[in-house]
Amino acid sequence: MAELGRAALLLTLGLSAYALLVGGYAAWRGRRRLAHSARNALIASFFSTLVAALVLVAGFLRDDFSLAYVADHSSKALPTPYKLSAFWGGQEGSLLLWLLVLTGYAALAVWLARKRARDLVVWVTPVLGGIALGFSWLLVAVSSPFDVIAAPADGSGLNPSLQNPYMVVHPVALYLGYVGLAVPFAFAMGALLSGRTDERWIVATRRWTIVAWTALGIGQLLGAHWAYVEVGWGGYYAWDPVENAALMPWLAATAFLHSVMIQEKRGMLRVWNVTLVSLAFCLSLFGTFLTRSGVVTSIHSFSKSTIGPWFLGFIVVAVVFAIGMIWYRLPQLRTTAKLESLVSREAAFLYNNLLLVALSLTILWGTAWPMVSEAVRGETMVVGRPYFDFFLRIFGLPLLLLMGIGPLVAWRRASLRGLARTFAWPAAVALATGVALIALGAGSSTPGLVAYTFSAFVLASIVHEFARGTAARRALTGEPIPTAFGRLIGRNRRRYGGYVVHAAVVLLAIGIAGSSAYDSVSEGRLAKGESLAVGGYTLTYRSLGEREGPNATEVRAVLDVRRGQKDLGTVKAGKNAYSVEQQVSNEVGIRTDYLTGEDLFVIAEQVNDDGTVFFRIFVKPLVNLIWLAGIVFLLGSVIALWPDAREERRLATRYANARERSDTPATT
Amino acid sequence: MIWVVLAAVLAVAVVIVVALPFLREPAPASDELHALDPAERSLLDAEEARDRALAALQELEADHRAGRISDDDYRAVVGSLRRDAAEALRALDRVSAAGTSDAKAKIH
Amino acid sequence: MIALSVAGVLAIFLLYTSLAGGGTPSVSPSELSTKTGEVALAGRVVGTPTGDPHGAGMRFALVDIHKPGAKVTVLYKGSVPDMFRTGRDLVVTGTRQADGVFVSKPGTMITKCPSKYQAADTSN
Repeated sequence: MAELGRAALLLTLGLSAYALLVGGYAAWRGRRRLAHSARNALIASFFSTLVAALVLVAGFLRDDFSLAYVADHSSKALPTPYKLSAFWGGQEGSLLLWLLVLTGYAALAVWLARKRARDLVVWVTPVLGGIALGFSWLLVAVSSPFDVIAAPADGSGLNPSLQNPYMVVHPVALYLGYVGLAVPFAFAMGALLSGRTDERWIVATRRWTIVAWTALGIGQLLGAHWAYVEVGWGGYYAWDPVENAALMPWLAATAFLHSVMIQEKRGMLRVWNVTLVSLAFCLSLFGTFLTRSGVVTSIHSFSKSTIGPWFLGFIVVAVVFAIGMIWYRLPQLRTTAKLESLVSREAAFLYNNLLLVALSLTILWGTAWPMVSEAVRGETMVVGRPYFDFFLRIFGLPLLLLMGIGPLVAWRRASLRGLARTFAWPAAVALATGVALIALGAGSSTPGLVAYTFSAFVLASIVHEFARGTAARRALTGEPIPTAFGRLIGRNRRRYGGYVVHAAVVLLAIGIAGSSAYDSVSEGRLAKGESLAVGGYTLTYRSLGEREGPNATEVRAVLDVRRGQKDLGTVKAGKNAYSVEQQVSNEVGIRTDYLTGEDLFVIAEQVNDDGTVFFRIFVKPLVNLIWLAGIVFLLGSVIALWPDAREERRLATRYANARERSDTPATT
Repeated sequence: MIWVVLAAVLAVAVVIVVALPFLREPAPASDELHALDPAERSLLDAEEARDRALAALQELEADHRAGRISDDDYRAVVGSLRRDAAEALRALDRVSAAGTSDAKAKIH
Repeated sequence: MIALSVAGVLAIFLLYTSLAGGGTPSVSPSELSTKTGEVALAGRVVGTPTGDPHGAGMRFALVDIHKPGAKVTVLYKGSVPDMFRTGRDLVVTGTRQADGVFVSKPGTMITKCPSKYQAADTSN
């Protein structure tokens, strides 16, 4: 079976090379059938990669331990869903997943755009082919999932911390995001290669960018939730290099999403946009490189990794190529449109971009600092939380405020007086909220207070926008409120979908502020019957129980929870001991108060032989807003993505007409 | 053994798919890439410019009606937007007229 | 143009803050004797740990990950990540005392997951 897998990957290698070389030649020389053939090759590469992926899946499901990869990451006792997710539990499998998603996206992209953006697609094909070539080369020559060994009796099993439902969704969502950024990048390069440096490539990739960006965002939230409930150290983000690896491209993509609107509306910022999408994609490659090669831990582990140098090579190639193409087309990219006023929506978007890119680069710098410092100073310096937290506040809080200001400012030029009138109501709400919060004790944390006040401002302005828009529609059509509201969103999906996404980000900000600036923690060793008080709760340790689970021994301590006089039930926390993998994992107990969004978070740090347990207990206010934000975020993206039937018809007719017209003269 | 056979089948299928354009049209009238020629490009560009100008005007009107833009700000900007839209419409007329006469010239 | 100049200023600011001494040096056990002040000690656990991390402190020994060398005794208090065991690689932040024992700041232990997937973290 491994032979089929290897053969399939070899075919993908050949097809990508064909798409790159022949596709490039066909685009350059304008050969129609050759270009069509290259496009077919790219599409076919998806199917051959799919075959390889199915072979690996079959290997897991059949417990085929003659495949080294299956033996390393699975075992007979592993529950079936985890056998499937073990596919991407290691380096070779996750590379295959990357390639699968890439070829899938590539096939779909060139297929969908084949009529509307023909002059772009001929160049997009070789670019995507080149990226696929890189990854398939790694899979064929450097890190193959189909290495064969003498089959052991049983596999080594999957790392217990990966044995949970998150492992099934989180990496896939992240990859759908990471890899998705390749499509706008390829179209941008296609635009530069073909000389079509106008907005065509942006319009063609608008939806792709939103899909990739949404997937990356959801993937990160899933990861944060995983860290929170499963890894269980009491937080959801640790500024770990692997976490930053996903955040950096996401921030760049967010900036890109906004700045393309400026190019669409005003034709400005063309150089900036191609640079930004290239940055986002290169950060995405870099992120995969960080996660896969462990390079940041120490430069020594980098040289031990077989894949690190190759990845670095790819990133260098991508960066050099992007810079080269941008430089080459610089004259065509420059426009005469200029920023008319520092107080305008364009300016607001520009500030937004600067802040987002600045934040992304500071994170990049902090994450890469250990590597850089070792190379430059001979001494590996590690950067801690305070660095990242500082910059998150410095850039994040103004960004938060900007989210409320941007949508209210007009294009081109806005008068300060007009602005003052528009902001009056949201600003009043924010001020009132701030005062009320200080009265409630939120003044204990200045960044927290600022975050809350800014959030109130943004939420007020979003509500104001929806209200005004509905009122204006009603004034025109006399529709009842629900209809006007629905039609308002339906006719302006991108705008109002965007507002919903902004609301999600605000919820995220409130959740983060609440759970990090206003949390409480308490710890201590308890014997049965003893209590610990934290954040208004009192927890009493009652009993300790042990039971045999499917592949682990589960130990749980039971605690009674009270708040004041009220009995709030029990919470369990403890540890699982996995027999096959010889590992222990923390199983935290979380009690969510759905009314206030607050979590009581219990960690049984150490279970001692005498029955006493050392507990660490957190109270995290508003933390559940973070997860709620994820749902709202998804909703907003879906609204923004939803195709407008009228718009689609109009565009379809236009491009069909163009084709008709172009067919006539050419065949004479 | 069956795996090797499947691999061979896959390889053959892939080769056919890649060769498809040549198999379908062994001797076409033209192998030129039907990328848009400059005339078509400028037509599409003009149409897109018109759409952009009209959309900007529409958005300004909607913003004004919804109260996002004050009367003063509206008056300050609407003039230039209307001029841009008029210019875009004129440009589109020019280009499509030229296109039609081009096509006529080629046919004759 | 504005964008580029602002970016430039930002870049200079960042370079300054980081080169001016941000961050903690990361050292291996064999390099520890040459360092004073707070460092992040990275090494592999050998032998059996003793003591209670939530009590008087847990003692364990660290050696270099990539070459045999000095063994350093670490005194650690605070949360211990699940991954912790003999043979695992980890990082603790702290200072070397006069008697050679490396006393760590509480809760600063970070273990490296062997499958290179994620680093479990207990710092908060």
